Amino acid sequence: MSDFQTSTHRERWIFQPQDLVNKWTTANRRSAEILAQYGTTRLKVDPVDGSISNPEPLPDHGTLVGSSSVKPLSCEEEQVMRIFYEQKIQEVCRAFKFPHKIQATAIIYFKRFYLQWSVMEHHPKHIMLTCVYASCKVEENHVSAEELGKGIQQDHQIILNNEMIVLKSLDFDLIVYAPYRSIEGFIDDMDDFCRAGNGAHQRLKDLHQTANSEVDTMMLTDAPLLYTPGQLALAALYKSNSALSVLDFERYLESVFSRQHFDCPVEQFIQIISSINHLVSQLQLPGTKEMRHADRKLKHCLDPSSSSHDDHKKKEKKSKHKSKRTASDAQLNS
Amino acid sequence: MGDGRGGGSNRPAWLQQYELVGKIGEGTYGLVFLARLKPTHPQAAGRRGSPIAIKKFKQSKEGDGVSPTAIREIMLLREINHENVVKLVNVHINHADMSLYLAFDYAEHDLYEVIRHHREKLNLSINQYTVKSLLWQLLNGLNYLHSNWIIHRDLKPSNILVMGEGEEHGIIKIADFGLARIYQAPLKPLSDNGVVVTIWYRAPELLLGAKHYTSAVDMWAVGCIFAELLTLKPLFQGVEAKATPNPFQLDQLDKIFKVLGHPTVEKWPTLANLPCWQNDQQHIQGHKYENTGLHTIVHLPQKGPAFDLLSRMLEYDPRKRITAAQALEHEYFRMDPLPGRNALVPSQPGEKIVTYPVRPVDTSTDFEGTTSLQPTQPPSGNGPPGGQPVPRQIPRQMQQPMGGMQRMPPGANMGAFGAAPQAGMVGMNPGNIPMQRGAGGQSHPHQLRRKADQGMGMQNPGYPQQKRRF
Repeated sequence: MSDFQTSTHRERWIFQPQDLVNKWTTANRRSAEILAQYGTTRLKVDPVDGSISNPEPLPDHGTLVGSSSVKPLSCEEEQVMRIFYEQKIQEVCRAFKFPHKIQATAIIYFKRFYLQWSVMEHHPKHIMLTCVYASCKVEENHVSAEELGKGIQQDHQIILNNEMIVLKSLDFDLIVYAPYRSIEGFIDDMDDFCRAGNGAHQRLKDLHQTANSEVDTMMLTDAPLLYTPGQLALAALYKSNSALSVLDFERYLESVFSRQHFDCPVEQFIQIISSINHLVSQLQLPGTKEMRHADRKLKHCLDPSSSSHDDHKKKEKKSKHKSKRTASDAQLNS
Repeated sequence: MGDGRGGGSNRPAWLQQYELVGKIGEGTYGLVFLARLKPTHPQAAGRRGSPIAIKKFKQSKEGDGVSPTAIREIMLLREINHENVVKLVNVHINHADMSLYLAFDYAEHDLYEVIRHHREKLNLSINQYTVKSLLWQLLNGLNYLHSNWIIHRDLKPSNILVMGEGEEHGIIKIADFGLARIYQAPLKPLSDNGVVVTIWYRAPELLLGAKHYTSAVDMWAVGCIFAELLTLKPLFQGVEAKATPNPFQLDQLDKIFKVLGHPTVEKWPTLANLPCWQNDQQHIQGHKYENTGLHTIVHLPQKGPAFDLLSRMLEYDPRKRITAAQALEHEYFRMDPLPGRNALVPSQPGEKIVTYPVRPVDTSTDFEGTTSLQPTQPPSGNGPPGGQPVPRQIPRQMQQPMGGMQRMPPGANMGAFGAAPQAGMVGMNPGNIPMQRGAGGQSHPHQLRRKADQGMGMQNPGYPQQKRRF
């Protein structure tokens, strides 16, 4: 779809920073309340109509009210987990040699999903895989759940089980616009702008590549929920150009603005670019210790019995724990 | 889009907002129902009792989740909004069997039925105004899609709906986006999606195995539909060579060449690069075709604008083929009668108004598509009016739940909303839903006729074989 202007992406999925904070806080609070009330955050799904309801109170929870040893994740810890699994999406997509677009779509799905849910309600590892799977379907690069599961030693049933909840949480708005294509467009345009000779061609190619990897990092920030793909692309190009000095960027921006209609003046646009790049510079990739801590907390929230050696429950969740170890722990320990 | 969180009954909350009227279609990937929004439901405000077509998608292949067909249709329709494109009103999930239900604004007619009515019931060609208005609206919707980089890839009369009486009477809605896709910067060659477009409406570049194709494939289909509106007969009725992954369809090409003459590299330079043209010297390159002349088939003066437009749509070289945008500007649309918004009601006074039959509804089914096993009513009650040579008993597969569907004859027509009405206003109605049709005194002269089309060849041998999908 060429028309971002009329897209659901523009209309419904670009937010103000405060909107994001509100949504995350709401989901986090809801989940913390459920934890306090029921002793677990694992939601109960009705097998008939798929409606989601609060968990069954744990049999021994009554005596523990107020003194539950299980603590909910904080908003910050949730963020750590999200970023960690967004990196995982990139890893999985690289391992499968998927085109960039698929990775970006999957990450945007993942971000949108967790605007409505806390990681305590749906384990991000499962959602991450399902987002990759859905992204492949939407981008006409179909990979079967089984193939995807096999490739990363995960139970593919988890992917399928979560497909509907993911699609529904996305409100079935499945077409997303990634900045990579915008970058391509701008590079072509810069080619004309520079009236590039052979040498400049190569330098624009380098700029293209650097900007692409800049966007890879940008995808791990909140920027894709706050700015349009065109804005993200220009921010990435701006930053890459400051390193490579291929062209006079401000003059280029002015030429773009003189040819096209924009919602804001150039000055404001430059402000946007610097806000985006500020977000990127603020990005903190989760450290091993931090992540392990959050992961352990999440495990207890989803399955409090894991801390009290409940064999019966353990057995039930066995496969999940096993797979979790292969995904996150292996990475964490490396 | 709400399938609400509440409720633990067997009927999910979202389902309760609809009153099921019955089944109106059935296809390889699901069923289509006619329903009405219950007046009590808050969402029904302002659209009280509006008819809704609900398309139920089965799961895709065993164990691979939501079918890509459903995904394509949803993702595209969520983004687009045009008077001549079907409107997706809602998406619902049935968690019990993980199926998706897509709710559309209901359209009473489709071009397949309109053409058929003229051919078989009226024995009268469609009037100039209606043909032109239908064509113009079809092009208008298509131009919108193409300018949004969407190729429909499955245009044919049964996928082009026409609104029944009401505010949008006589307006065309392009439907069934199950094969549609965005062709801007595809990650893979489009040909990877397998063979597309029902064979009769399939462009020659597809039949010759083009790896990349463009929106021009839709324009070829429009040309075929234009001719069909004029003559009431499909223009190129080839017999499909099945069970071959090869796109090459000799019989279909043969039908085309017989009418349009042999394509040449001079007229179509990239022809030489098409895989099947290179590989099949003997059959297609060797054979010399007489050009029988398109104009004699469509009975149009060769110098008139209508013929000019048609022949530009049926241009062999996809790069020379007229685009939807260009077609809308064609002289044909600037001369009398001018195209109008209500294609079914001619603007000139004195013109005879044709009343088209309403879609037949099978009321013996529930939303799952399972047929009630209660004893059937005698056909006299809701059966077809007399005089029609149609089978009276319930088709076998209708007596079975869901699974029976797969045994549909392969040539079955999938009509409007992507699946054709499937026979049979007989049987009880399990949900005790009031019969909306038939009892109201409205005439509906052809309920069972689709069955006759389904490979039985009862009414019109040679007309089935509408669709193949791989």
